[in-house]
Amino acid sequence: MSLLQTTDLVKQFGGLTAVDGVSLSIERGTVQAIIGPNGAGKTTFINCVSGLLDPTSGSVQFNGDDITGQDPHEIVQQGISKSFQTASIFPRMSVAENVQIAAFGAEHGSFRFNFLKRRESYDAVQETTERMLRSVDLWDDRNIQAQNLPYGDKRRLEIAIALASEPELLFMDEPTAGMSPEETRQTVDLIENLQEELGLTIVLVEHDMEVIFRVSDKIAVLHRGSIIANAAPEEIRGDEQVQEAYLGGAEI
Amino acid sequence: MSTEAEEGGTVGGIDISDSVLIAGNAVALFLLPWVLIDVFGMVGEVIDIAVGGYSGLPSLIIIYGIVVIGYNLLLGYTGMLSFGHAAFFGTGAYVAGVVSGTTGSPLVMILAGTVVATLIAWPIGWISIRRTGVYFAVITLTFGQMLYFWALGPGAWLTNGDDGFSSVQTGQLLGTFELGAPVVGGIEFLSVYTWEYLMIATLAIVALWTANRILNSPYGLIFEALGQNQQRVSFVGLDVSRYKLMAFIISAVFAGAGGALFIIHESYIHPNTAYYWIQSGDFVIMTVLGGAGSLVGPVFGAFIFEYVANVISGVSLPVIGSIGSLWRIVLGGVFVVIIWAFPKGIYPGMRDAVIWIVDRVRNRGGEQG
Repeated sequence: MSLLQTTDLVKQFGGLTAVDGVSLSIERGTVQAIIGPNGAGKTTFINCVSGLLDPTSGSVQFNGDDITGQDPHEIVQQGISKSFQTASIFPRMSVAENVQIAAFGAEHGSFRFNFLKRRESYDAVQETTERMLRSVDLWDDRNIQAQNLPYGDKRRLEIAIALASEPELLFMDEPTAGMSPEETRQTVDLIENLQEELGLTIVLVEHDMEVIFRVSDKIAVLHRGSIIANAAPEEIRGDEQVQEAYLGGAEI
Repeated sequence: MSTEAEEGGTVGGIDISDSVLIAGNAVALFLLPWVLIDVFGMVGEVIDIAVGGYSGLPSLIIIYGIVVIGYNLLLGYTGMLSFGHAAFFGTGAYVAGVVSGTTGSPLVMILAGTVVATLIAWPIGWISIRRTGVYFAVITLTFGQMLYFWALGPGAWLTNGDDGFSSVQTGQLLGTFELGAPVVGGIEFLSVYTWEYLMIATLAIVALWTANRILNSPYGLIFEALGQNQQRVSFVGLDVSRYKLMAFIISAVFAGAGGALFIIHESYIHPNTAYYWIQSGDFVIMTVLGGAGSLVGPVFGAFIFEYVANVISGVSLPVIGSIGSLWRIVLGGVFVVIIWAFPKGIYPGMRDAVIWIVDRVRNRGGEQG
């Protein structure tokens, strides 16, 4: 059984059909890339799955449960987490606090918080925070105010926040956008490590073809809201329809 | 709403241990009447303008202090600007007043007022938090005004309408202590330290302690996060509505307790002081003036506000004459000056200034050595 399964997912904005009958199944432990030209519906698709938007029709199943139309926080509690395209962090809080919030969110289902209990005394949360910050190499910066981090570090903090929710599946919306080549390389290493060490399933939306072809197990090509191909990287590279619609020979 | 980018070494989540916090505030609350009445009084004699406080003023300042400590948890951390917190203040006051007809126990009055204020905060909050920003403010304002007109008209059988509620029969504290009597009798200097003042000051310490613990619990972190990036909060698996509602209700608990204390202190309440939107606005002014987003800052705001409202309004100046009802103009001026000098409010401003001075002195010392 696949971890995530969308069936005929449609999202319309007025007369515009942004996502047009997408059926995609993602296997556990794989890296699935989604590519496509601007306006192809990549972000809308992710938003429909992660709960930011309600799909017009179709269904989303996760781990065999129907999660269509649930609120974002419910979907996160089921085990789907998301790192945003723009670093979505808590700017005026410390780096450690940024991650703590997500760690508290992950514990949310298992116990109720006590109003008067100091947050330092939640050991599991502190432990998760440290582990996540170390995995993205930000532990030494834990007391810095998040807004003062360089851009690349903000993006990695964002990934740490998404990981601290202890997801089974992680959506990454253009994780290397705006990064220097060095930062891009670090991020790709990070993605590979995450997948190997945590056995995470990753859905990646990305424009950088080098990154895509390096880390993906499967690449789905979205064009005008529909999937026109979904296969291993080497097949996609040779697919004529894909060349036509998107790659055009220019970007590879 | 301290949205300033840089903050000094001590950031929002102030970490003061409980015992230090309680001891420090106990000393401050003990000194307040002395400073306000005796010290200011002496200054007044020297400059020949009556700037000294009177004996009921410290209680009034602390009562409003309790209200804004709670209000600040909402405005200063989650960033939700409620313009209707008079709804909970007024309800606390009226309920305590009505209850006093049956039992005059001050503690029962406070408990009843607080509980009912909390109960009405639930539905009002539940509806209001569905919208953000100015819409949230207007919805809360509307609820406050609904209660105002209810108290004036249809609710007059309970609130005595426009004549005001005056049948307050506050009894003795714990059945033994007369609220108006000094704790230590026979000493002139200690005569302002009445049982009432002791009770209010003790509750203020409880309020500060509770607020401090909430801010240092997971809730404090989540409230602060809500003020900075709501979408991210929901995308780490936390139910935004639930935590916003919780912040709203917690702040209403403080407002309800403050309202009950207010009627015990004044033995009278009118819809204008209980429910009118200006009262709600005053809570906002006190909080911003004192320093939204700092634990004790808003109490300083309450101090300045009530001082201007009650003492400066009674001052008579040589050319201008009596200030009287013009006190709001004075307050406006004070507000502009303070916010211009300290955009984050008076308390964070003073704290930063002290840190800056200490740093300068230390560095200077280092250079010389």
